[in-house]
Amino acid sequence: MISNPYTSQDWIAVAPLFIVGGVALVVLLADLLARKYANRYVSMFIGIAGLIAAGVYAAYSYGQPPHNAFGGGFILGGFSIVFEEIIIIAAIFSLVLYSGIGREDRVAGSTALMLWSTAGAMLMAGAANLMTIFLGLELLSLGLYCLCGLADRPTAREAALKYLILSSTASGFLLFGMAMLFGATGSVTLASLVAPGVGANPLYWMGGGLFLVGLAFKLSLFPFHVWSPDVYEGAPLPVTAYMSVVTKAATLAVFARFAYAALPPASTHALLMPFYIIAGISMIAGNLGMLAQTDMKRLLAYSGIAQIGYVVAALAGGTQQGVRYAIYYLVAYKFMNLGAFAVVALLSTDKEEGSRISSFHGLAHRHPVLAAAMTFFLLALAGFPPTAGFLGKILILSVNVSAGYAWLAGLLIAGTAISVYAYFKVIRLMYDRHAPRAQEVVASRAPLAYVSVAICLVFIVVMTFYPYTPSNVLPMVK
Amino acid sequence: MSLVLILLPLVAGCALFLLPRTDRMLSRAIGCMVAAITFFLPLVAGNNGTFAAHWLSRPFTASLHFAWGGLSLWLVLLLALCTFCAVLATNMAQTRTMVALLLMLEGTMMGVFTARDILAFALFWDLMLIPPFFALVGWGEHRETAWRYLIYNFSGGLLLLLATAAFGVIYGSTDVIGAAAHPIVGGWAPWIFAGFAFAFAVKTPLFPLHTWMPATYADSPPPMVSVVSSVQSKAGLYGFLVITLPFMPAAMAEWRWIFITASLISLLYGAFIALAQNDAKRIVAYSSLSHLGLIVLAIFSANPVALQGAVVYIVAHGLFSAALFLILGYIEQRKDTRSLVRLGGLGKANPKLAGAFTIAALGALGLPGLAGFVGELVILTGVFQSGYFWPALIALVPIVLASAYMLRLLQGIINGPQVNDIPQRRDLTWIEGLAVAPLLAALVALGVYPYAVLSSGVAAPSGRYGISSGFTRHEVMGAPSFMMGGAELGAERRFK
Repeated sequence: MISNPYTSQDWIAVAPLFIVGGVALVVLLADLLARKYANRYVSMFIGIAGLIAAGVYAAYSYGQPPHNAFGGGFILGGFSIVFEEIIIIAAIFSLVLYSGIGREDRVAGSTALMLWSTAGAMLMAGAANLMTIFLGLELLSLGLYCLCGLADRPTAREAALKYLILSSTASGFLLFGMAMLFGATGSVTLASLVAPGVGANPLYWMGGGLFLVGLAFKLSLFPFHVWSPDVYEGAPLPVTAYMSVVTKAATLAVFARFAYAALPPASTHALLMPFYIIAGISMIAGNLGMLAQTDMKRLLAYSGIAQIGYVVAALAGGTQQGVRYAIYYLVAYKFMNLGAFAVVALLSTDKEEGSRISSFHGLAHRHPVLAAAMTFFLLALAGFPPTAGFLGKILILSVNVSAGYAWLAGLLIAGTAISVYAYFKVIRLMYDRHAPRAQEVVASRAPLAYVSVAICLVFIVVMTFYPYTPSNVLPMVK
Repeated sequence: MSLVLILLPLVAGCALFLLPRTDRMLSRAIGCMVAAITFFLPLVAGNNGTFAAHWLSRPFTASLHFAWGGLSLWLVLLLALCTFCAVLATNMAQTRTMVALLLMLEGTMMGVFTARDILAFALFWDLMLIPPFFALVGWGEHRETAWRYLIYNFSGGLLLLLATAAFGVIYGSTDVIGAAAHPIVGGWAPWIFAGFAFAFAVKTPLFPLHTWMPATYADSPPPMVSVVSSVQSKAGLYGFLVITLPFMPAAMAEWRWIFITASLISLLYGAFIALAQNDAKRIVAYSSLSHLGLIVLAIFSANPVALQGAVVYIVAHGLFSAALFLILGYIEQRKDTRSLVRLGGLGKANPKLAGAFTIAALGALGLPGLAGFVGELVILTGVFQSGYFWPALIALVPIVLASAYMLRLLQGIINGPQVNDIPQRRDLTWIEGLAVAPLLAALVALGVYPYAVLSSGVAAPSGRYGISSGFTRHEVMGAPSFMMGGAELGAERRFK
């Protein structure tokens, strides 16, 4: 009789993942039964309900002592729960966009794929072992390869193929790095990397470097960023919104855990410095890239490259405050970005004409409320008050200054100064008085997106004046 | 109480968008009412209306802390008055939108002037850039102007943000404006000062950073530019007085020659360019550059007398530049041009307009009896007293030149033969007159009785300073309390 090595607590730790993954099956079944009715809404509501259930369930474990599930494969703690909640909320806001976009018969499949991807991302949030990291990443990515292609445009298929090839290459880097790290330590747990002697082994340096390259690709940091505008442009709008937050949040969780807890103290600085340098360059390159864009999705892709650079900058120096402010800014970024995507969705039908920047020309005259909301989201992305983008930048700047990374603060300032032009170009276009007045008003088919726009607005403002950052979020590996 | 000053105009400004797009009367009535309330509230409420709420405890203490008193009270009053006049004078295609923008600008700038926390100051500092940007987008003549305004000023705002973060990390708290200060020390201090000073110098503007200003002033619609030039440009000077002077005196003293040189160049350069311009609005814009250079000179001489003169001149310049821009707006509306070459002989047909313009222009050239004179005199006395003989002497030159360019402006528009091919229109309507009357009355009142500003909260210097070589700790410790309206402020800080 073989005794079960895993306790019930282990299963409770990963129960939210199972809820999300299981609900995806329910969505597919319900789609079979509800073919005749408005199955778009049936799938969406089941998916959202499942995500909410998983979120609430995960929140119950918050504040309890961390639990090392499955022999260190998955660590349940404040850090993983916060990231799980970020991912779940982002997934909900992305699913909402399907209310107006995508062919009716594809919504159920897309919802199910998105839920499975979400389960993968949640696994990454808690993964503390090279195998679970890779498992989570592949689960996340496999769903996204399919999702990217699910639109009737040639660019969608191009996006899917591009994402598949480049992302697989990056996964190869990651896997090769993992293999070397395994070679250096003889163990797949991140905890074993902390051993002081590891730093003397060249395999460790090569492995760590390749591992970080893989992460930089997933985060679309500077030299590995070129895929993201193309993929964002081609993918269906809800998928773009989803990718812009969830992929990055999950990868950041892995990176933070690796950088904070899984490196021998002596070599941390030398190994991570190149990563922070490319984060600094991303702030400049991403913001410069925005200047020439004519498509809102591409613009937000470049903006995301820079914004994630800011988040990574907060982690530089490995301070406890750094990880809190990185989470603060990530949450702020989530609401700003998803709010902006919701506005784009409101201006779009299946052809996604709302994502062309020219469709924002004179928007203030046609639809003043949407124009005001979009202005607000762009102001937040540019770091203008009274938004969480403003306060988040202050927090990142202060942690950079106090941790001795003042050069990152300088790059952040320079990048933001560049980005102002790109964001305000759209704002100016919306309020252009020479805009043709007689343009037809795009009838919105995404009514639920109004709700998500409102929620994002409220959060962005409230977060500015009540900047709560949870204190027990230090990533750990043991 | 001070929160009302900020929120009332902001909320009213947003609410105006509920009115129909073509509304002209109701929006102006509401705007005037709001501006009047914000003007009388600090006077009626008396005490400094402190509002304080905890905001951040890490990485440094910050609170949403607002109050008025001393210099900030004067700027609040000036802002409310200028907004009132600008709203009353608004008469254009989209009056409602303009009034809404003016009210939002008022609310954000109220935040700048009442903030007692540098982070709150920085928040409103960035926010106050948005209404003028929209005004330039909506009414500007050139597309680039809006960009120039925004990018220059937001770059300043970003460095202000960085400096604020560094200040907070080192000082532990940003809830410090007007409180008993101890200067920050260490290798970081000059860099923090540089960040603040860049932001303030862009906003003022000071010589090499001024290039956004003439275009912005010339392109903005008159009501907006009257508030921007008269009050928003004072935000930089206010920042120098309440942030860098008390907290970074050593860095200020070390770098003072750079700023004194820049201010002298601003003084001379602005005056000479104003002499050569033909666009009436640009003449006033460059004169503004020149006048504000004088205030920067006063601040960096760090002489208590000069600082008092600076405070008077800040208010005086606000009054006459608001009046000048509003009146130039009237002229432009009547004659469809503001080129001196095309204008002339306005005095005959529009005597009331000519009279108002004359008073404002005389105020700007520093005629004794009007407020500008007092400020210039006290500043020059103070600068001279602190041993800056040559700067004081050089600063005299543009004051003489001011007469030349202001009289040239006056003659070019009011006197001379009537130009036949431009339309003759009616004189000032009573609403238009009412819009500039309070500014001119205040200009006269303050010129006759400058003690009102000199005495209230901005106390007389307590002691003889003689010739000072740079900044002494004693002077600097005195600065915040007399700038911010007394020592009782320290006791009112509720949050640590």
